[in-house]
Amino acid sequence: MKPKVLLDKVGFWCATAVTSAALMLSIAPMTASAVNIPTEVTELGKDTYKKYCSPCHGEEGKGDGPLARSMLPKPRDFTRGAYKFRTTPSGSLPTDEDIYRTISYGVPNSTMIPWDILTEEQRVSVIPVLKSFSEAFEVRKPDAPVTVGLPLRPTERALTEGKKIYEEKLECWKCHGVEGRGDGPSAAEQEDDFGFPIKPFDFTTGKFKGGNSAQDVYLRFTTGLNGTPMPSFAKELTDEERWCLTYYVMSLIKPEETKK
Amino acid sequence: MKKFGIGLCLSAMLFTSVAWAAEQPPKKETPPDLYEGTPDWYRAVYKDNVGMKEGSGPFKDYFKPQMLDMYWQPNRHYEPMKNLDHSIFIEKERRDLCVTCHEEATPGVVRDWRSSGHKNPKSTPYLSARTAEIEKRTNRILNEVHCFDCHADTKKKQIRMPTGEVCGECHRPQFDDFLREREVGRPNHIQSWEANTIVPWYAEAARRGYLYGQHGCDLCHSGAEKCDVCHTRHKFSAAEGRQPEACITCHMGPDHPDAESYGESKHGVIYHKEEEHFDFNRPLSEVRPGKDYRTPTCQFCHMYEKHGRFIHNPVMKGIWRMGTIPPKNLEYTSSLKDYPYGIKIIGDKIDIYSEENVAKRSYWLEVCAKCHSDRFADTYLKSLDEFMFQAHTLADRAQKIVEDLIADGYLYPSAADRDPYPLSDGIEKQLSPAFLGEPIYNAFKTLKGKFPVVGPILGVYGMFLQQQDNPSNIENMYNRLWFWYKLQGYKGTAHVQQDVSWWWGQAPMMMEFTKIQSEAARLRREGRIEKVSLTK
Repeated sequence: MKPKVLLDKVGFWCATAVTSAALMLSIAPMTASAVNIPTEVTELGKDTYKKYCSPCHGEEGKGDGPLARSMLPKPRDFTRGAYKFRTTPSGSLPTDEDIYRTISYGVPNSTMIPWDILTEEQRVSVIPVLKSFSEAFEVRKPDAPVTVGLPLRPTERALTEGKKIYEEKLECWKCHGVEGRGDGPSAAEQEDDFGFPIKPFDFTTGKFKGGNSAQDVYLRFTTGLNGTPMPSFAKELTDEERWCLTYYVMSLIKPEETKK
Repeated sequence: MKKFGIGLCLSAMLFTSVAWAAEQPPKKETPPDLYEGTPDWYRAVYKDNVGMKEGSGPFKDYFKPQMLDMYWQPNRHYEPMKNLDHSIFIEKERRDLCVTCHEEATPGVVRDWRSSGHKNPKSTPYLSARTAEIEKRTNRILNEVHCFDCHADTKKKQIRMPTGEVCGECHRPQFDDFLREREVGRPNHIQSWEANTIVPWYAEAARRGYLYGQHGCDLCHSGAEKCDVCHTRHKFSAAEGRQPEACITCHMGPDHPDAESYGESKHGVIYHKEEEHFDFNRPLSEVRPGKDYRTPTCQFCHMYEKHGRFIHNPVMKGIWRMGTIPPKNLEYTSSLKDYPYGIKIIGDKIDIYSEENVAKRSYWLEVCAKCHSDRFADTYLKSLDEFMFQAHTLADRAQKIVEDLIADGYLYPSAADRDPYPLSDGIEKQLSPAFLGEPIYNAFKTLKGKFPVVGPILGVYGMFLQQQDNPSNIENMYNRLWFWYKLQGYKGTAHVQQDVSWWWGQAPMMMEFTKIQSEAARLRREGRIEKVSLTK
């Protein structure tokens, strides 16, 4: 693909990302100041969890609700405190806001819908319930969120650099495939920490599980996805390199795939 | 200028909507009802929702339904899932979330829907025209028919399994055509669940612990309320419903080998050889024989009504009615002469030459004439009639042998010494003389089911429920003769499949007949020997 075309595509997706980020902000306030998250388990939280979460995640948060057996990917088992989408470093617990964001935004390409259908009060009420399923939250606190470095612009040079990282330095293609379809040679062997087969993400769909903005994608490279084979590259890559990789994987989105 | 432009746009929009409203006077259509015209007791046992509490039909109190029945007969038995309360999605009409979740939970369903006319009801000129008709009729704009439209019961705020009534809200002409199946009575599709559960042996088998053994019955006979039997979920394709394969999951096997007889006939073989040339996207009324179809399909012949018109049900032209009902046009020696023996709930004998049936035959000839000469087609169909007369005559002779044996007291074990007719206690309790017919009702009342029942239609129980010594060997033989081999011969002949006509039909009918003769001779001989030894 010619760099010019690549740039046009990235431009388009950045615009889309900005729009979706704006939309997301309107449905899901992301900061603690916007929502008041309770620290204790409440009756409302228990009821909300029982009615809307336990059918998949199970009454005790083990990811074994009655609907779970026919689902792939499997609903998250909360007992290990391993949360994929965080602003905190690899291995850390998530912040309450991270959990709130996933509840409100949902996880694309999974049965975890955006639960914006519930009131804000209901959504925050389940956070202490989820945390109560894992001892980790009793003995540890989440680390401070990672610092998001100054974003780069998606220039031709940044994309070329990102491509190099994807293809040579980190060999992301081994799992995610050369074209980013999640079909690399090692794709079939991947397993998550719970022993379930896990598919490397297909970038062409454009439905990034942790959010579609460039910052969301950048965060995945920086924090990794706990409980999955996707590590953090905070050490291996500089801040700048992570931005380059971000723009490169976003350039792999295929508009025709996103319409499905 | 800008304001002027906006004003112009607004007034144009207003005008359009006024014009639309003026063109579409709100019509009050009666809502589609699958049980329209049926007596009240009928609704009470087939339509009113009871969930899993009781069964269907007059004998509903004798068995609890199996859970699958909620999918087979949603009106009667559907209960929303308990695991996840969907009411919040319905209350807030969050259509987007249906797809978001089910795209992953049940991706096949969503992909089917995405490729269906429901997702894109205006994707082709043909679909657009049909959609425009529906829009006009329903006074709605239809750019997408969504999960929500069919599956959300907005009154009860729960998920529903759509029945034909839901489809009929938009597809009213097709629904009304389907409803017309009642005009010709059973066997038909719309009363197939009734046929399944009104028969006493269904409830008796369930009572005796064989409910799940009747799974095979339920799968076909569940076609009564739903359209996805022919137009499978969630494409609901008209083209799919026009293919012979749409019929064959039910229309096969020993009592109606339609798949086998059509499939291996010259018609069927040509279809299989050249199916890629068949244009199933064309409505039946626009099919050009020889160009769009080189041979007929089940639908092309059976859904042809008359005078170039097609109807959205395949039973209207049926004359021989699946071959089970004896014709009026024969002299019978057995009690078939008294068929239907005063029973009110089954159809009378068929007069093949009644005004109505002669007219139906001419409509058949209209179809055949697309490719065959009138004389050839007429001769062929007359030979089918003759085949049936001969087959019914043979059945009559066989029935006479069995009945004489019974009358002379040689049936062994005798009806008094074996299990009674299925659910005899229930028949006496649940049905009335007015409903069932005086003579049969009285027989059940006085003899408590301890009497032999042979031949069409109630004698077929032995095909569905075998109890202690009931029916006996010779009765089973006769059942095979008239219910299997006669019907197989009928289908083989009607669908022009020589092997089915002979080796599955005429030949085993004759073999079974001689077996019945020799079994009767043996029983008589043994009976006589027993009598002699008892008198000594």
